[in-house]
Amino acid sequence: MDPAGVFAVSFARDEALIRTRGQWIALALFILLLFLLPYLVGARVMAVANVMLITAVVVIGLQINTGYAGQINLGQAAFMGVGAYTTGILASKLGLPFWLTIPLGGAASALFGFIFGLSALRIKGFYLALTTIAAQSLFHFLVLNLPTSWVGGSNGISLEPAQLFGIVFDTDRSLYYLCLVVAIIMTYGAFGIVRGRHGRAFIAVRDDDVASGMMGINVVKTKAVAFLIGAFYAGVGGALWAYYVRFVAVDQFTLFHSIWFIAMIIVGGMGSIVGALVGVVIIKAAQETLVTLGPGLVQMFPALGGELVFATMNIFLGGVIAAFLIFEPRGLMHRWSIIKRSYRLWPFPY
Amino acid sequence: MMIDFLTYLITGTLVGLLYALIAMGFVVIYRASKVFNLAQGELVVFGGFIVWWMVVNTGLPLWIGIPLAFAAAAVFGFLIERIFFSKLVGESVFAMVMVTIGLLILLRGLILVLFGPQVRPFPIVFPLQPIFIGDILIPRALLYGGIITIVVGLALSYFFNRTRPGLRMTAVAEDHQVAVSLGISVKRSIAFAWVLGALLSTLGAIIYLSGKSLNFLASEIGMAALPVALLAGFESIGGVLLAGVIVGIIQGLVTAYVDPAVGAAFGTVVPFVIMLAILFIRPTGMFGWKTIERV
Repeated sequence: MDPAGVFAVSFARDEALIRTRGQWIALALFILLLFLLPYLVGARVMAVANVMLITAVVVIGLQINTGYAGQINLGQAAFMGVGAYTTGILASKLGLPFWLTIPLGGAASALFGFIFGLSALRIKGFYLALTTIAAQSLFHFLVLNLPTSWVGGSNGISLEPAQLFGIVFDTDRSLYYLCLVVAIIMTYGAFGIVRGRHGRAFIAVRDDDVASGMMGINVVKTKAVAFLIGAFYAGVGGALWAYYVRFVAVDQFTLFHSIWFIAMIIVGGMGSIVGALVGVVIIKAAQETLVTLGPGLVQMFPALGGELVFATMNIFLGGVIAAFLIFEPRGLMHRWSIIKRSYRLWPFPY
Repeated sequence: MMIDFLTYLITGTLVGLLYALIAMGFVVIYRASKVFNLAQGELVVFGGFIVWWMVVNTGLPLWIGIPLAFAAAAVFGFLIERIFFSKLVGESVFAMVMVTIGLLILLRGLILVLFGPQVRPFPIVFPLQPIFIGDILIPRALLYGGIITIVVGLALSYFFNRTRPGLRMTAVAEDHQVAVSLGISVKRSIAFAWVLGALLSTLGAIIYLSGKSLNFLASEIGMAALPVALLAGFESIGGVLLAGVIVGIIQGLVTAYVDPAVGAAFGTVVPFVIMLAILFIRPTGMFGWKTIERV
């Protein structure tokens, strides 16, 4: 809801994302801050920020597919892997420039996602979750068992850094700008998608697919499109990942990663693009903290040794998912909007 | 040649019955609570560790240790219901699936913290020497396990289809809200489901791991059992026996004949290929309920 005194006098105003001058200023300052970040923080934070930006692209895709269209997707990491592998192969074998390989990686992933999305025309809910788990394990099997000369097998693929007009993206700082620009474009696109007719069809199908079918929404097409878009985002994220790590291997894209992605949208809030971003930042920050604290913990519990970080990570992830679904099922964005509403209405609570 | 084939066939059948026993855990939990429990494999491993702890670590004889382990598993199943699922009655499928995934990961971490990453020797519950019928070799644990599975399966099938408490739980699987309005205690049904699921998982762990080694990676059997539950249709306990045999035989034959020919571990993805095929062709499986959807 809007603060007092702000009201729309035209449809365009009513639909606008940014409604007050204050919001404009806040957004501009935030983006300025994002661009200045490399000059403000150290190398370690820079690396984390890069991973956050890449993850954000993937998780926004998942948010559109799962949060908006209601298609449970436990294979987002596999879709990301398809994008990363496509980019790796196109860049290392054909030498295509990155501004071609990134969209192509997204397109290949979209195709892969579309094929699995087709199964969604007959099944839903839990059965769909099973299909995406199968997608995940088939991806692994294919990569490891296709001829090594095609996809690198268990050796993975190495690729050259991205280049544009003589600028080589091989430092954390330059990669940060590459990821930031892509992430901003993808975020902007996501807002466009979910506010447009596709987005509204997604929400209708999520809330009740039988009813939306009766209202004239093409349910099958909507579900397939949701997978297509979600996988495209994953593919673009995977492509960025390929350029960031410059090495693509199959164990970077496991079911475990897919579950982390889902955890991010659960924490941030289902059905909110901003929620996806919030979830990414919070979960990634928590992960980093655990990894940083890890060595200290290992000294406290020497019996467990190196497995301890892995174990605590598991307990944290499982605990977060269960706790949020039980106590805060609509995520942090819901809590945030309650807080916002309460101070705007203050002192009139209801 | 013929002997080999028969051996593969019989071993495949028995392994399939083992999958069926694990898959029964899925079905029982679904039949009584409408939750698809993806953490089934972790329940098996946890049950295995309880048995290991009772028998190997404390040195109790088998006939005391195993009943104690079953009692501990029942308490554990009850705790899961109390902590997680009693608060989720009537929630969406997404919430249910995700909570079981959260549980899966949580259990994995807990097992690591409680029991450590080392590989543990599992007690020898069934004698190790195989049985020979002519030249055909049959592993003893699997054979006894198969018989136990069939008995347990038929008993559970009778319970859920013919007795009053069982049918009451079936109503819970149909719809939480309707069950509540009919005066059925959904929470009690869910609690019973998890106790039963934990007991079945522990039984599965004993048959699966007897005389082998145990660490948290053994949970993979949960994923292998998924297609069995799916092929049977999530609602049918008797069907699980048949589906288990089918999946076991297919996997056994593929591992024996296709893998050497293509030089890849194709047998490991067979369950997933079967799963995809079922989902594309007949998502409700062989004996699943067909739901009619209305607005």
